[in-house]
Amino acid sequence: MKKSKIAAIALASVMSVSAMAGCTKTPTPTTSAAGGGTGETTAAPAQVKEFSAFFAVPATTEINKDNEIQKIITEKIGAKCNETWLAGQQPSEAVGVFIASGEYPDFINGGDAMKALYEAGALIPWDDYIDKYPNIKEFFTPYEWSQFRQSDGKIYWMNPFENIYGQDKTTTQNGEAFWIQARVLEWAKYPKIETLDDYFKVLEDYNKANPTTHDGKKNIPYTMLCEGWRYFCIENAPQFLDGYPNDGSCMVDVNTKKIMDYNTTPTAKRYFKKLNEEYQKGIVDTGAFTQTYDEYISKLSTGVVLGMCDQWWDFAYTVNDVFKTQDTEKYGYNYIPLGLTIDKGMENQWYTSGGTLNVSSGIAITKNCKDIDGAFKFINDLLSQEIHDLRFWGVKDVDYKVDENGLFYRTEEMRKNAADPNYKTKHLCTYSYFPQWSGTSRDGKNAMMPAEQLSEFKDSLPEPVKKVFAAYGANTYIDLLHSVNKAGVWYPMYSYSNNMKTDTAGGTAWTKMGECKHAWLPKVVMSKDFDKTWNEYMKAYAECKPEDFVAEMQKELDKRIADYEKANAGK
Amino acid sequence: MATNTVNVEELKPHKKVKFWAEAKRQPFLLISSALLLIYGIIFYYVPVLGWVTAFQDYKPAVGFLKSKWVGLAKFQKLFENKTFYLAFRNTLCMGVINLVFHFVTAIAFALLLNEVRIVFAKKFVQTISYMPHFLSWIIVTAIVRDILASDGIVNEFLMNVCGKEMAIDFFAVKGYFWWIVAFSNVWKETGWNAIIYLAAITAIDPCLYEAADMDGASRFQKMWYITLPSLRPTIMILLLINIGNVLNAGFELQYILGNDVISDVSKILDVFILDWGISQFDFSLGTAAGIFKSVIALILVCLGNWTAKKTGDERLF
Amino acid sequence: MAKKNSLKRLHVGDIIFEIFLVVFMLIFVVVTLYPIINTLAISFNDGFDTIVHRIHFIPHQFSTDNYKAVFAKEGYRMGAVNTVARTVLGTLISLVVNAVLAYVISRKRFLFKKSFSLFWVITMYVNGGLIPTYLVYQKLGLTNNFLVYIIPGAASAFNMLVIRNYMNGIPDSLEESAQIDGAGYFKIFYSIISPLCKPVYATIALFVAVYHWNSWFDAMLYNKMHDELTVLQYELMKQLQTAMRSAGSVEGLKNGGTTITPTSIRAAATIVTMVPILCIYPFLQRYFVTGLTIGGVKE
Repeated sequence: MKKSKIAAIALASVMSVSAMAGCTKTPTPTTSAAGGGTGETTAAPAQVKEFSAFFAVPATTEINKDNEIQKIITEKIGAKCNETWLAGQQPSEAVGVFIASGEYPDFINGGDAMKALYEAGALIPWDDYIDKYPNIKEFFTPYEWSQFRQSDGKIYWMNPFENIYGQDKTTTQNGEAFWIQARVLEWAKYPKIETLDDYFKVLEDYNKANPTTHDGKKNIPYTMLCEGWRYFCIENAPQFLDGYPNDGSCMVDVNTKKIMDYNTTPTAKRYFKKLNEEYQKGIVDTGAFTQTYDEYISKLSTGVVLGMCDQWWDFAYTVNDVFKTQDTEKYGYNYIPLGLTIDKGMENQWYTSGGTLNVSSGIAITKNCKDIDGAFKFINDLLSQEIHDLRFWGVKDVDYKVDENGLFYRTEEMRKNAADPNYKTKHLCTYSYFPQWSGTSRDGKNAMMPAEQLSEFKDSLPEPVKKVFAAYGANTYIDLLHSVNKAGVWYPMYSYSNNMKTDTAGGTAWTKMGECKHAWLPKVVMSKDFDKTWNEYMKAYAECKPEDFVAEMQKELDKRIADYEKANAGK
Repeated sequence: MATNTVNVEELKPHKKVKFWAEAKRQPFLLISSALLLIYGIIFYYVPVLGWVTAFQDYKPAVGFLKSKWVGLAKFQKLFENKTFYLAFRNTLCMGVINLVFHFVTAIAFALLLNEVRIVFAKKFVQTISYMPHFLSWIIVTAIVRDILASDGIVNEFLMNVCGKEMAIDFFAVKGYFWWIVAFSNVWKETGWNAIIYLAAITAIDPCLYEAADMDGASRFQKMWYITLPSLRPTIMILLLINIGNVLNAGFELQYILGNDVISDVSKILDVFILDWGISQFDFSLGTAAGIFKSVIALILVCLGNWTAKKTGDERLF
Repeated sequence: MAKKNSLKRLHVGDIIFEIFLVVFMLIFVVVTLYPIINTLAISFNDGFDTIVHRIHFIPHQFSTDNYKAVFAKEGYRMGAVNTVARTVLGTLISLVVNAVLAYVISRKRFLFKKSFSLFWVITMYVNGGLIPTYLVYQKLGLTNNFLVYIIPGAASAFNMLVIRNYMNGIPDSLEESAQIDGAGYFKIFYSIISPLCKPVYATIALFVAVYHWNSWFDAMLYNKMHDELTVLQYELMKQLQTAMRSAGSVEGLKNGGTTITPTSIRAAATIVTMVPILCIYPFLQRYFVTGLTIGGVKE
C-alpha cells in the first residue's frame, strides 16, 4: 500500500518533469519575420515577434503572461517582450554570468555594468539604425546622443528615463531637500526659512511649544538616515548648501571648470558642526545612526519627526500613503521641501529642471538578438503616442476618462485600481524600463504620465499642504524651493562616478572615501569635542587619497566640456 | 561505557598481497565509489579550476585562458587592505562564538527533550522547536531589533524591573554586537540543530539504561553518564565539520544588524568581498578571498582531525 | 516501560529534575514560538498599520490583503509544481546516493577508505565560485534545465558524514555474520544496514527536503530566463522585491489603493511556504523512536 503510494508520487513527479523538459525544448523567442522599417504603428503582421529582456534592477511590477494591455499592445505592433528582472543577486554578478556564458537576451539593461557589456562586445552599435526610427531619433538631441558614444565612437544604449517632451510638467521635488512638516510651518505662521540656522531654530521653537504629536507621542525634531547606500541623507548636503546642484560626488566650479570636493569645504565643517551642536542639545535623534531604513520609515510614518534631509522618492510614497490611510494627514504631518543654503541670500540648485541625462546606463540590444530591426521597431513603437498612452494611462474609459476639453482624468476607483498590485499584474503593462517620456503629451494638453497631470496632483494634496502652498504662493512643490537652474553641460557628474571601480586609482580612492565617511560621520556628529574629532576625520579622509578621485573626475569633466564644444562647433 | 564505535577487527597487515583478492570481494563498493568519484570530480573539483582567476585580472569576456596574469597581485591587494583584517578578525570571533553556542545549546536541548516522558509533549515541543528555522534571516533580524529597541521588551524589563534609568541602545555599543548575533543564531537554529542528536539518541542501546536502573542511577545521572557519552561520536563529527565553517559566520545578520557606529565589529569577510570584489566587477579579488577562506578552513579541519586521531575519537578521514 | 521505572524508585533529584524540565520546556516553547506568532500576526495585519503600530501576538487591524498580494502572481502554480517535483525527486535521489556513499566509506575493508573520505571532506570547504561553476553546468547542458535542481546537489559530504557516523555505530558482527551466510556488499547494504538506519535516513531526508523546498538560488542563477522552470521560493523572492520597490513607485502613491508593505507581505509569504513543509515532519517523526535500532543483536 505505502510503497505503491510513494511510487505513484515519484511517477507523477517524473512525468511532470518530462513534461517540463518538453516545454524547454519547444522553440521559443526571436522570430525571423522581416522587420518593417517604418516608424508608424501598423496593423498586426501574421506572426507576433517575441523578444526577451533582462534588467539588472529588481522589478517594480512583474506582469502576468496574459496581461491585458500587453495583449492590446502586441496586437497593435505585432511584437512583445518577456521581461526578466534582477532578484536576489548583485547586478554586477548577474551581468558577469551573462558575459562569461555568452548567452544574452535580446534586450539588456546592465545597470552600472553597461561598460563591461560593451567591452565584452555583447552589444550591437546603434549608429546605423537611429535615423531609421523617428521616435527613437527624436528622443535625444544630437548632442545628447553624442554623449552616449563609447571609446570606439559608437552608440550602444539609450537611457530610457527622465526625458521631457515639450513643456515640463514636474510637480514634486523628486530629489533632495531639507523637509519640514506642514504643522511646523503653520505654527510658525509660514516664515521665510533660508538657512540651516533658520531651519533648526524653527524646529527647536516648535518643539518647545508643542513637544508631542496629536496622540501624545514625543516629537523627534530632526533625524537622519545613515544606513548603507542611503547615507546620502547625511553626507551630501554640503554641496546643496553651497548652492551647487546634485552632481552627486563632487561640485564643479562654473568659472574655473574645476572639480571641488564638498566633503572638506568650510561649509561642510559648518554643517556638521551645526548637526553636532543640535545633537548635543538633544534636537537630533539619538537613534539616528543605528536606525535601519524600515525603522526610519516607521518613525516618519507616526508623524513624530519634524524634519530631515532626504530625497522624496526615498520616503514620501510610503509615508504619505500611511498618513492618508491612517487619516493623520489632517494634523499636518506631510513634509514640505525647503531650498536651504549655508548663508542668506544665496541661490540654490536643489531642483534642476529639464530632466537629467544619465549616460552611464540604459537599454541595449545584444548580439544574440536575431531580429535587430524588429527590436528597434519595438522600441520605436513603444514611443508612439498611442502606445505610450496605453502604457502609462491605460485603456480609455477603463483606466482613465477624457473630459470635454480633451483632458485625461481618473475617477477615485480608477486611481485605486492603478495602485492595486493585482490589477497591475493582470491589466497594466508599462514596459517600465523601455524608453518613456515625461512632460507634455504630443496632444499638447495632457501630461505623458498621470502623476504629472496637474489636476490629478492637486486633487490628491492634503488640506494642510494646500494651505502651505497658498501661504507661499506656490502651485507645486518645485515652486517652494526657489531653485535656479545653472547646471552646466557636464551635469550630472555622478553618471561617471557611479561607474568608477577599484581598477583605477580614482575608483579605489572613491571606495575608500565612502568607507571613511561611513565610519567617521557618526563620530563627528556625536563627538563631545567637535574640532578635535573633525581634525581626526580630516586626517583619516586625506589618507584615502581623495586627490586621485578628484583628478579622475577632472579628466572626465574636461572631456565632457571638450565634447560639448566639438558638437556645437560643427553647427 | 558504550563507545560502540571502536573497531573490533583491524585490517590485516598483509595488505598488498591481498589487494586484488580483496578487490574481488567488493565489486559493489568499487563500482559505486568509481561512479561517485567521477561525479565528485565533475561537480566539485572541475569548478575549482576557476581558482586560477585569483592569479589573473579576470574579465568574464576574455575568459580563463586569455585573461591577463597578475601573479599574486590580487592577494597583495587583499592583504594590504586594512578593512580586510578587521573583517577577518570579526568573522573569526563571531564564528567561534557561534560554534560554541551552537553546540552547547543544541546538545543540551536534545538531552533535555529526550527526558520528556509524555510522548505528545515531546513531539509538540520538538515541532515547535525547529519552526524558527523556516523564518528568513530578514524576519528574524526585524524581530531582534524590535525586542532590543529603546522601547522594546528588553529595555522595558531593564527599566521597570531592574531599575535602569536610561534605555540602552543595544546597536550602538560595540561590546554587545557579537553576543546579539550569537543569541539570534541560538534562537533560530537550536531546535533544528538538535535533530541530528535526537536521531543519534535513538541508536543508544536500551540495555545500558536498564543496567543503570539496576544500579539505582537518577535520571540526571543516566542522562549525564549514558546519553551524553553515547553522543560523543556524533558531536565529534559535527564539531570537525563545523570547525572548517568558522569563517562562514553568516551574512544577513551582520549585514542588516550592523551599522556605521559599530562597523568596526560588525563588518565580516563576506561583506568585504561584496564591497571590494563583486560590486567592483573584480571577481578575481573575490576568488582570492575565497581561496584564503578555503585554506584556513582546510588547515583548521586537518588540525581538528589530527587531534581527534590522538584522542582516539571519530575522525572525518 | 518508562512508567514502571519511575515508579520503581523515586529520587528526590528526579523530582527536582522533572520540575526543571517542565519549566525549561515551557520557557523554551514560549521563546521559540514568539517569532512565529509574531510573523503570523503581522501577516494578518494591515500593512500600513504595521508600520505605525508594533505588532506582537495579535493583529491590530485585521486584513487578508497580504495573502491576496502573495497569490496575485501567476508564477506560483508553475513554481509549486516544480518545487514539489524537485523536493520529491531530489530527496529520493539524494538519499540513495548519500546512503550508498556513506555505506561504501564506512566499510572497514573498503580499499580506498581513507583517500575517498578525504576526497569528499575537501568538497565541503572548496568551491570554484559562481562563474566557473556556471560554465561547467553550461557545458553539461544543465543550464535552462530542470535537472540542475537535482543532479549537482545529489551527493553531499555533510549528509554522507552524518549517515556514515550512524553506520559506524552498527556492530560489525552483523555484517560479518551476513558475509558468512554468503551475502555480498549490496545485499548487506540493502537488507541489513539500511533498515537499521531509518532514523538517520529520516533525518537526512528531512534536511534534503527542506533544502529543496527552500532553494531558489539555483533557479535564479541557471533558469532565470525560463519561466516554466521557476520554483516557489524564487517566485516569492521576486514578489518580495517587487513589493519593496513598488512601495516607492509613483503609481503606488496618490490614493491609498494599496496597503501592502514589504514587511507585511514577507510575513505572509513566510507563512505560506512554511505550512506545507511543516506537514512533512510528523511523517518522519515516527522513525525517531528510541530503541528501534540494532534489534536483539548485541556486541
